Amino acid sequence: MKRVLTTCPYCGIGCMFYLLVDGDGILVGVEPSTQHVVSKGQLCVKGWNAHHFVNHPDRLTLPMIRRNGQLESTCWDEALDLVATRLKEIQAANGSDSVAFFSSAKTTNEENYLMMKLARAVFKTNNVDHCARLCHSSTVIGLAAAFGSGAMTNSISCVEQADCYLVTGSNTTEQHPLIGSRIINNVVNNGARLIVADNRKIRLSRLADIHVRWKNGTDVAFLNSVMNVIIAEGLEDTEFVRDRTENYEQLKRTVADYPPERAAEICGITPREIVQVSRIFAAAERAMIVYAMGITQHTHGVDNVKTCANLAMLTGNIGRPGTGVNPLRGQNNVQGACDMGALPDVYSGYQKVAEPAIRAKFKKAWAVKYLPDGAGHAVTTAIDAAAEGRLKALYIMGENPMMSDPDQNHVRKAIERLEFVVVQDIFPTPTTRYADIILPAGSYAEKDGTFTSTERRVQRVRKAIEPVGQSRSDWQILCDVAVKCGYGGMKYSSPEDVMDEIAALTPIYGGISYDRIDRVGLQWPCPDKNHSGTAVMHAGKFARGLGMFSPARYRPSAELPDSRYPFLLSTGRCYFHFHTGTMTRRSRLLDREEPFPFVEVNPADAAELRIQNRNWVYVATRRAEVKAMAHVTDVVGKGVLFMPFHFEEGPANLLTNNALDPVAKIPEYKVCAAKIRSAP
Amino acid sequence: MDNSIDRAADRFAERLGVIDKHTLYRPFNCTLRSVRDLTPSEKMFRLAKLEGGPFGHRPGQFMQVSVLGIGEAPISVSSSPTRGDYLELGVRAAGTLTSALHRLKPGDEIGLRGPFGTHFPTDEMKGRDLLLISGGCGLAPMRALIQYVEDRRGDFRKVTILYGAKSPDDVLYKDELRGWRNSKIFECQVTVDRVPGGTCWDANVGMITKLIPPLQIRPDDTTAVIVGPPIMYKFVIEELCAKGLNAGNIVVSLERHMKCGVGKCGHCTIDHLYCCIDGPVFRLDQVANLKGAI
Amino acid sequence: MCRKDTERTMRLLTERQLEAFLRSAETDYDVRVPVALRDGTRTLGRLDDGRLALAGGAIPAKMTNVFFPQMDRLLTAGPDGPDIPKPVLRPLLVVGFTAQDAECLEFIDRFYAENYRDDVYFNRRDGAVIVCVSGRCGPQGRFLEIAGGKCDMEFICDGQSYLVLGYSPVGKALTEKLAARQPAGTATLTELQKESDSLAREDSRLLQAASRLLLEEKVPEEFWRSVSDRCIACTSCNLVCPTCTCFDVFDRVVDGKVQRWRTWDSCQLDGFMREASGHNPMGLEHQRTRRRIHHKLAADPKRWGQLTCMLCGRCDDACPTGIGVKAVCREMVSKYGSV
Ligand SMILES: Cc1cc2nc3c(=O)[nH]c(=O)nc-3n(C[C@H](O)[C@H](O)[C@H](O)COP(=O)(O)OP(=O)(O)OC[C@H]3O[C@@H](n4cnc5c(N)ncnc54)[C@H](O)[C@@H]3O)c2cc1C
Ligand code: FES
Repeated sequence: MKRVLTTCPYCGIGCMFYLLVDGDGILVGVEPSTQHVVSKGQLCVKGWNAHHFVNHPDRLTLPMIRRNGQLESTCWDEALDLVATRLKEIQAANGSDSVAFFSSAKTTNEENYLMMKLARAVFKTNNVDHCARLCHSSTVIGLAAAFGSGAMTNSISCVEQADCYLVTGSNTTEQHPLIGSRIINNVVNNGARLIVADNRKIRLSRLADIHVRWKNGTDVAFLNSVMNVIIAEGLEDTEFVRDRTENYEQLKRTVADYPPERAAEICGITPREIVQVSRIFAAAERAMIVYAMGITQHTHGVDNVKTCANLAMLTGNIGRPGTGVNPLRGQNNVQGACDMGALPDVYSGYQKVAEPAIRAKFKKAWAVKYLPDGAGHAVTTAIDAAAEGRLKALYIMGENPMMSDPDQNHVRKAIERLEFVVVQDIFPTPTTRYADIILPAGSYAEKDGTFTSTERRVQRVRKAIEPVGQSRSDWQILCDVAVKCGYGGMKYSSPEDVMDEIAALTPIYGGISYDRIDRVGLQWPCPDKNHSGTAVMHAGKFARGLGMFSPARYRPSAELPDSRYPFLLSTGRCYFHFHTGTMTRRSRLLDREEPFPFVEVNPADAAELRIQNRNWVYVATRRAEVKAMAHVTDVVGKGVLFMPFHFEEGPANLLTNNALDPVAKIPEYKVCAAKIRSAP
Repeated sequence: MDNSIDRAADRFAERLGVIDKHTLYRPFNCTLRSVRDLTPSEKMFRLAKLEGGPFGHRPGQFMQVSVLGIGEAPISVSSSPTRGDYLELGVRAAGTLTSALHRLKPGDEIGLRGPFGTHFPTDEMKGRDLLLISGGCGLAPMRALIQYVEDRRGDFRKVTILYGAKSPDDVLYKDELRGWRNSKIFECQVTVDRVPGGTCWDANVGMITKLIPPLQIRPDDTTAVIVGPPIMYKFVIEELCAKGLNAGNIVVSLERHMKCGVGKCGHCTIDHLYCCIDGPVFRLDQVANLKGAI
Repeated sequence: MCRKDTERTMRLLTERQLEAFLRSAETDYDVRVPVALRDGTRTLGRLDDGRLALAGGAIPAKMTNVFFPQMDRLLTAGPDGPDIPKPVLRPLLVVGFTAQDAECLEFIDRFYAENYRDDVYFNRRDGAVIVCVSGRCGPQGRFLEIAGGKCDMEFICDGQSYLVLGYSPVGKALTEKLAARQPAGTATLTELQKESDSLAREDSRLLQAASRLLLEEKVPEEFWRSVSDRCIACTSCNLVCPTCTCFDVFDRVVDGKVQRWRTWDSCQLDGFMREASGHNPMGLEHQRTRRRIHHKLAADPKRWGQLTCMLCGRCDDACPTGIGVKAVCREMVSKYGSV
């Protein structure tokens, strides 16, 4: 039995464990690291099952090419040749920006860096993005505007030090279990205060001092009103506001329009709840805001994020342990994929493509004469461009837009219209069905590299087993493609080489190297080899200098319930599955737990519609109808439906609305109008 | 601990020589002789050992049925050993394994382990009145007992059979039920919860519990046997108690999620009992006071 | 066990000498020892897997996993029908059990042997030599209870070196192979035994009290609700528990060969008892929370005549929200009873 220390491939917490490998080179279990800063000998249920999918018989093991409409297996050489020549041809005919690259939050930092290098240096386009667009693009933009950096401001260890939490739009115990557990411990053992602002009765709400079940999508009104009360009652941190922030007057004016009575009406709660929340939050010495998709996935996602930042600054809860604005990143490496510049407007370390000096630096390092300067397509707008015929080819690495993007019928039509689609993945997915070429990639257990966790900690991923079948690591595939395209600047002997290049070009990663993170990862910003990393950001000074109050006004969600579609449908994840289910649905115990697509329905609604628990129902929106099993539960409020998007046979994202936040281009997964009926 | 190097070595030598020996989790192969549709979602399979011979089961026991590559599931034996060297299984397509079974054809091989579990107490039932109550799929194991009683009719006194299903379409073993209803040696009543429009139905309509009050029962001389869906037990037991039966004279067969069938995997526990080895057949007084049993 | 007899074969060795001894045992045995892995995590591994780390108390992972691992092949079947798992060629010699671990092993040996003998378990367990580690080498300098006759052999730390004792015939034979040396120890076996006997037994009294409360049904549902509110269903408690034996079974077809595996399962999962019909006798969180404790402290005593929590402490360490067995018993006893 071999044991290999690596980082969990599920959520962004970044627990480390040992993968157990048997004599036949098969993964047969995990053992948590007792020394790791976050895991401390503990794991959640997905972590304990993280070995299971790797050796699943469904793994893609051979490259495939579509011939006469059929996918047939082929050899690597032919597949890579075809990828390179077709992409080049298409570009030659239609221009650089006719090709787009989807990178992946499931792959390593090194691989994300190589993907953006491939797009920019080899194909001369900034059309590179990844699924952070769909989860935290509003965070990256909102927090960068407020603080100058778009990441979680504090560390996971800080969670234990707060004496008040505002948890909003995060089902923490299910999606970030080892952060949720820290909140539970602190509330139960030390009497920390807990405010849960969420329509769903999540587990944390059972232990909360106050659970505000606001209407989904009314976040800005609620938080503005909380600030209104704080200012009215003189509970703000005047010193902090004076010394560390700007634009306070503007904030004051805006929130003045949200007295509790008015906001309560918008939010469907009582004014008293707002006042209570304000007092509890403002009274705390160290108050922490924890949020996730419930804040970001709205047409007003950026406004939501900025409003959270406003509240933290108003009460001086930033820059100290136990405080901060803490967006929890949902994927093992979504932080890293952003850090690596798998985004349409920045290189690694959020260095802007628009700035000539930055471009000059990358041109020199990559030995190319030209790099494009205009922002490229986002994941969401690339699909629109494909639908309109402006985009001709798509290279998708480790993403499943056919299930993860909103309004799948739209996505399908867009992808069908593309001339050439390359999909690089570990399992067949609804997206591989539309591929012209499938490149079988190695899972996290088959390669070396790094992931960056939600607390900005860059940690090692280690190869535990040989690639399954003929699969190859993503980094190798990307380098092979670059070589086939005749580019000489992407030849590396190992991912470590790539990290050295990243460190050299990326100030916030400047001090990262494999030998320094061999046992414990480092938290960026880590500018040089002597820097020990940054646990708490914005201490004493914001990354942008002064913190910027950016007040926002409440805007209703794009599609609200009406007489034809009387329910508000919200989508998300459940505890046992992960995203489009490619891994967890191939993990025995996890799939046994939730084997069917389901929709949560409030008991009162269920009684009215004669829907029984575990019976089948149809959920319909203006876009489509999907069959799912009813879970009758008061976890959802009356008039609200909740549906996870893990299930291919009942895909929630056939239903969701493709309305985007105007700035972040993030879709409104959290609110649309729906109806429901019993399935015959 | 009484290890000795020599003994350990002996055991290793022994083990190397017996690769073929039967192990606890290794199924043996049987031939599927015939398949018959019972309802739209239930089929009956008749199996025989490759080398022939009896399976050694008694009514009430179950087999672990394997389709290699798909999985394994516990299925009650639906035929009596008194009928010959074969096994019959009545199987509802409820999920992966059972659906795979439904795809098999006569002549195919099936893996079996077992028989496992306790059986109906046929010895103790001798000389007594029997009240055999089943619902839904519960007729599968009950049929084994009914056949057994039929073949040894002289051993028992009055035998009453009650069976309930959701609707006429869901009734298992329709021909046999008709036979039992017409037979002089049993009193047999069948009921369904509801009859959808356009369906022929010549027996009772209503809950199975309604069939009990009119019966003439000699409580001390009667053994009642109940097999059915989880909700059935509580209500049937109430009716039987009203008739004066005590828990010592009521036998239940309880089904639980089972994986191993041999008391190891832990899925089937009811308090300190393992349904697969201490059950599935229990005397009611063994389980009546255990949380979650009935 | 006759003390005099044991003392006759007793040896005193340094950790270095023990390591050399264990290496030499590798010719006859598949030797597993506590090792510190790359980041310092202690586990049970081969001598080459990491630095020998005898001291530190119970290994965080359960020791019984050498015989009942997280995933284990039950059978492999090719076109010619099923094969049984490959026989183990060298018996195991497993070092690092604590006294509690040895009790856990004793129980699961019983569990797997009775009714039907689980030959997949005994495939590894038969002939295995069990070695306990005890004495002055616990976590934070705590004294580890001496196991005595519950194992084949024991290494008792006197603070510097290890007294090596053989109990069973095989343990004695192995001990006798060691060169008889008499270096200066800091304490005699008698002194160490005294220290072991004087260890506080509060936890065990607590457990007994909790068990009584459960058997007398004095713990209301509302208590289990309040505990289950804090349970995030991570399943760690089951997966680290040395007396948890539950497993699930699944098949895989790889290259035309069928593999049937078993894998650790957890009664904290809704799917654990859910039946194909959807019916679930343990379909509520608090029922599952209750089962976890009730099974060890009430159901097993009824069935096996013994408590099956040996207070190894692993679930309390692995539980992210502080509701391991000990913590829950403490809460239960303080609410509903007295020690
Ligand atoms: C002692 C005992 C005796 C039994 N005797 C019999 C018997 O005689 N006859 C009999 O029929 N059964 C019997 N059962 C029940 C039988 O064991 C289960 O039906 C069987 O284990 C289901 O296994 P599976 O692999 O087919 O289902 P699984 O795949 O394990 O199904 C589990 C779950 O998935 C659901 N599921 C899976 N696939 C589908 C699908 N395609 N559509 C809808 N739902 C799906 C099921 O509803 C269920 O909730 C007995 C059980 C026990 C314990
Ligand atoms: S079925 Fe495995 S213990 Fe009963």
